[in-house]
Amino acid sequence: MTKRASDTPVVPYAALAELTSVVKSELMGVFEDVLDSGQYIMGQELEAFEREFAAYCGSSYAVGIANGTCALHLVLRGLGLSHRDEVITAPNSFIASASSIALTGATPVFVDIQPDLNMDPDLIEAAITPRTKAIVPVHLTGRPARMNEILDIAGRHGLFVLEDSAQAVGSSLEGRRTGSWGDAACFSMHPLKNLHSFGDGGMITTDDEAVRDRMMVARNHGLSARDRCDYWSFNCRLDELQAALLRVQLPYLDAWTQERRELAFRYNDLLRQYVGVPEEGPGEFCSYQTYMVQADRRDGLQAHLISGGVQALVHYPTPLHLQPAAKELGYTAADFPMAVEAAGRILSLPLYPGLSHGQQDRVAELVARFYRD
Amino acid sequence: MRVPYAYLSEQFADVEPYIDDLRGLVASGEFTIGPYVEAFERKFADHIGVKHAIGTNTGTDALILALKAIGAGPGDEVITVPNTFIATVGAIVAAGATPVFVDSDERYQIDVSLIAAAITPRTRAIVPVHWAGCPSDIESVLEIADRHGIAVVEDACPSVGAQVNGRSVGTVGRVNGFSMHPLKPLNVWGDGGIVVTDDDEAAKFLQLYRNHGLSDRNHIDLWGVNARLQPVQAIVASRQLDVVDEIADVRIRNARRLDQGLRDLKEYVKIPERPSGYREVYQLYQVGVARRDELVSYLEAQRIEAKVHYPIPLHLQKAAMSLGYKRGDFPVCERQANEIITLPAHQHITTEQIDHVIGAIHSFYGANL
Repeated sequence: MTKRASDTPVVPYAALAELTSVVKSELMGVFEDVLDSGQYIMGQELEAFEREFAAYCGSSYAVGIANGTCALHLVLRGLGLSHRDEVITAPNSFIASASSIALTGATPVFVDIQPDLNMDPDLIEAAITPRTKAIVPVHLTGRPARMNEILDIAGRHGLFVLEDSAQAVGSSLEGRRTGSWGDAACFSMHPLKNLHSFGDGGMITTDDEAVRDRMMVARNHGLSARDRCDYWSFNCRLDELQAALLRVQLPYLDAWTQERRELAFRYNDLLRQYVGVPEEGPGEFCSYQTYMVQADRRDGLQAHLISGGVQALVHYPTPLHLQPAAKELGYTAADFPMAVEAAGRILSLPLYPGLSHGQQDRVAELVARFYRD
Repeated sequence: MRVPYAYLSEQFADVEPYIDDLRGLVASGEFTIGPYVEAFERKFADHIGVKHAIGTNTGTDALILALKAIGAGPGDEVITVPNTFIATVGAIVAAGATPVFVDSDERYQIDVSLIAAAITPRTRAIVPVHWAGCPSDIESVLEIADRHGIAVVEDACPSVGAQVNGRSVGTVGRVNGFSMHPLKPLNVWGDGGIVVTDDDEAAKFLQLYRNHGLSDRNHIDLWGVNARLQPVQAIVASRQLDVVDEIADVRIRNARRLDQGLRDLKEYVKIPERPSGYREVYQLYQVGVARRDELVSYLEAQRIEAKVHYPIPLHLQKAAMSLGYKRGDFPVCERQANEIITLPAHQHITTEQIDHVIGAIHSFYGANL
């Protein structure tokens, strides 16, 4: 289970264990507390974390869910979608943004992206039909989508807006946190997220009491009381144990985000002359869950970095509309030229709290050498 | 004398060995499937005697995945019982199929004599529930299913360790689900489940579907879900698997003592038949009693924590309204809903506590021991 030293890259893509070690004694403490309590499902740690997380996001309510995918699925399912309905999202996201729509029976409808890799609001109206029920903008890499424009369009057409904030805890737009803009928002606490559980985890935030109440029941088999099942549903509860571990980390999140941002800005300065770097737009506060550049000759650069000991990854080489799973939706590569072009240029570089300037310099040196030679 | 229903803080009084394993997990950073989950899956498959075991986030997910794997979907009917935990039916509905109920027998299991009459050309599967850790008559269920060319999906959620004629439950149906909820025989520190099968094709689908349909990091073969077992829970489950049979032995001993102690109350207490060749592991120790609600209050007043699983059969739940059932459709199950009581019989109950419970029930009915 432990890798040999020679396999270990100089700059790994993530360093979970190292970051965990900072709070390990605190984690172990609450871990034992939960174990001693004998309360492993939906106890006071979960309730407390939900309150603290809602307050952090500037939302009225938060509901703990087993993972970010379930969170999206439950909210969309709560809208009562059928196979006649359509939901709009972006084609360059993680699968869950589209699969959560498809699994409700509704049809995912994609709109292309802007140069900042988020959904292009100017293209949304053309995708709206009488069947459209909701828009799911994705705050990709922790960069907020254009929420003012999206909410404006949704308001005009009476559509539900679900923010896919899976990658965007701690981000904000015009001083307002992501996850507090839409009718509801979903967060992931997967291990590679800025605030993470030690396994899977997710959250739903909302200001709407009715949505909150419905999600509390939906995540727990449709049970409104121990012996009363209001509707058939799933088991998608966030574990008490993970909630307790998340509570320990939440107070550190802003400092970790700050460190990510400083490292991202330093990368921008080091790399700007070689590749497209993720500069913050006006009003944006990006949490840089992923540090994604856009590069010419991307595959060559990636191979060059990997052979130099830098774990650079592509998130993701194939847009959702071109996946085998999307075949029946009938899209072609020509439908979303921006997303397809971006898929050939994007490259994610290692970025996390604890990444050293020396490691960053190593990355920059390799990038510079690749384009100079 | 207090007789508590809960036992988790006693079961996990010594967490040091787990903490050691967890340190290894944290150092490995393998929080998504990975070696700990895979090692547990192998160990569990070998333990119950099945080719493939796939860890899931919950027992509910295990059932949903099992039904998806056998191809149950819209237009299909799936036969099960109305006296189960909601998740059995929730899973059928989640798969898109329509639940069809058949009544229970006097062991609180599916009444196999009623199954054939419930089968229609649309029936896709039978989902017997090994209720309360006691096996249903799975051999008869399989025979009926084979005769009609439909699949069996065992809801073995409450029943790790239960056996029929030496064969573990969860190894008979085509694809079957287990739960590892804290109150199950094999339990973890939160939610967890396992779906098992001997069928290689089904196993391949299950692996894909539980992890977003990803055939590798960048390729999505089908729209799937995230229903992965957490490595933390796999570590707990792996250690528990080493002692699950010993724990079951203690529960079986406790159940026998309760059976014997209550046998003379024939007029008031109905003890289900205990068929030979069946290994019942008593996730719940259930009997039928007269004046049930009064007895529950009486025991509670004496700090004996008795429960009812469950007072409302599923066909009478609000969620079932669209299925069109009414009171009277399943008379045995409906009667049992008013009779059943669950008594504490877990591995941390002492014989003194059991005898105390037996004594309290005798005095409630005004009987002498």
